[in-house]
Amino acid sequence: MLTVAAALFGLGLWGALGQQSIVMLLMGIELMVNGIMLAGAGLWAYAAGGDPKGQLLVVIAMAVMAVEMAVGLAVVVAVYRVRQVDMTEGLDSLAR
Amino acid sequence: MSNHADIWAAPLLAAGILAVGAYTVAVIHLAVGGWLAQARPGVGLLLQPARSAAVLMAQPATATERPDRAMAALSPALYAALAAVAVTVVPWSRSFSIADVETGIVLWGTAEALVIVAMFLHGWSSNSHQPLLAAYRFVAAGVSYLLLSMFVLIAAAIPAESLQLSRIVESQAGLWNVVRQPLGLPLFVVVALGSATWGPLDLADGSDVSGGTAAEASGIPGLVWMWARAAMLAAFAAMSAAVFLGGWHGPVLPGPAWMAVKTVAMITVLSAAGHLLARVPAERFVTWAWVVLLPLGFADLAIAGLGSLR
Amino acid sequence: MTVDLAFWVFGLGAVTTGWRVFRTASMVRATFLLLASFLNVGAIILLLGGAYLGVALLFMMTVEMAVMAIFMVAFMMNPAGLNPMTMVHQPRLAAAAGWVAFVAGAVMAGRGNFPERPLPGGRPVIADLGAELMGRSMLIFETAGVALVATMIGAVVLSSRRSRFGDEAGDEGSLPPALDPDTGSYPPGVIPEGVGSGHDHHGGHG
Repeated sequence: MLTVAAALFGLGLWGALGQQSIVMLLMGIELMVNGIMLAGAGLWAYAAGGDPKGQLLVVIAMAVMAVEMAVGLAVVVAVYRVRQVDMTEGLDSLAR
Repeated sequence: MSNHADIWAAPLLAAGILAVGAYTVAVIHLAVGGWLAQARPGVGLLLQPARSAAVLMAQPATATERPDRAMAALSPALYAALAAVAVTVVPWSRSFSIADVETGIVLWGTAEALVIVAMFLHGWSSNSHQPLLAAYRFVAAGVSYLLLSMFVLIAAAIPAESLQLSRIVESQAGLWNVVRQPLGLPLFVVVALGSATWGPLDLADGSDVSGGTAAEASGIPGLVWMWARAAMLAAFAAMSAAVFLGGWHGPVLPGPAWMAVKTVAMITVLSAAGHLLARVPAERFVTWAWVVLLPLGFADLAIAGLGSLR
Repeated sequence: MTVDLAFWVFGLGAVTTGWRVFRTASMVRATFLLLASFLNVGAIILLLGGAYLGVALLFMMTVEMAVMAIFMVAFMMNPAGLNPMTMVHQPRLAAAAGWVAFVAGAVMAGRGNFPERPLPGGRPVIADLGAELMGRSMLIFETAGVALVATMIGAVVLSSRRSRFGDEAGDEGSLPPALDPDTGSYPPGVIPEGVGSGHDHHGGHG
């Protein structure tokens, strides 16, 4: 169970670091959080005896994922409008 | 307290119910249209959908240039499967529903969300710009009404104190939800019209985008798509009958008969909405959904909450 | 036995579709492969007994991926995968980091001493979650809610065209999409400023 979660996390990390496009980077981060949620649910079912706080952790992780995706996509839209780039290479300066 | 059909009987039952339901939708749609046009619909009406289906089956399935074949095959199948999943949670009588899961309402929401995905894939897969345009605007509208549907369904679940559909129907033994939560059913009708892209919310298959996602569908995939849309409408009608109109409660007839009567009534309402209301432009619908319908959904939830405080 | 088999099927499915997300050339397929990965994880969670968690995960991820698909088609230059290309930078570092994370996690999974308290059979997990959310963890829940509202406002502000200076003022500094992204040529009459630094990236994938 945890091995699968670790695999998902590793895949997500590889994608997040390796992808050029911002949107693909977001997908890598999503995979990582997915792995974490699976690990959390696995621990909840097997090691925590159904303690509801385990479920709460997974729910909060879902909320985090939603937040990260929303803000990430809004940033992509804003950056694209100003700079016409959607690659991480283009985001190398904070100035306009 | 409710029986689960065996694992191999479940898909057959769902398919059977949907086949009957989709055909009923087609017949009622033609009948309502004929009645509104003040023509006298004859008995030949009952065979009309079968004739159209036969024509579609005989048609060769054309393919566009470089379509996404996997998605083109997947999307009508996915849509039909979602209609089947949706209908499995509907309780048909006190003791029978195909799969009465504990989180029936949330499963229904998941099916609705996957409908958006299926529509997008259908518009995307044919590599043609009108379907893609239609799919795009459908996703915008779909995300808007999806939230609304969850509010309305959760409001219906509050008096039952359970997400399980059989308990929700039982909680209507005294008073139907359509009376307790008057806003619920009209809002759910909006959601139903959207999910099946029917009538005023025919954004994905509308004639203003040359048939939308179904523009490039022909032959048997086209038939499956049409059938799946009608089946989805039937599933929504059955669900609204269960959740808002009291399900199988009723004085004289047995439970499933009442469900059938109420489902047919809802299909007629949805069909009439399809014939009578003009198609809403996507931008206007999105604005309207977020600014007007969603607060009404909140109000519905608040009414339900206040009602259960007593 | 069937549960174990189902777990392995879903687990392998999740990992395989997750891997294919980054290997496929078609961007729309990448999005829906990610959805497939999430659906597999949701199925596993359902198998574990988290009835609401699993279905809620399926629900949320479907909507997220539908939105993601919209953005993929809008922003990715190759949404259909018709021109095969790889879009990676620092590939070896990224792959190494991924493997290190996986190995570390797997080692911890195999060798860690986890307490053995399996989920008791008849526990009303949904009612538990509800009671927890509304009771002791209400503060956490409310904070998450406020964070989500702040996100919504922030996302709308970042991408909205209306700013406090007027209805179209949010577009100030925005450039219309270039006619030819590779050379950055613009329609006649449009003179972008300071765009030079932003276009060097297009040599990255040739």
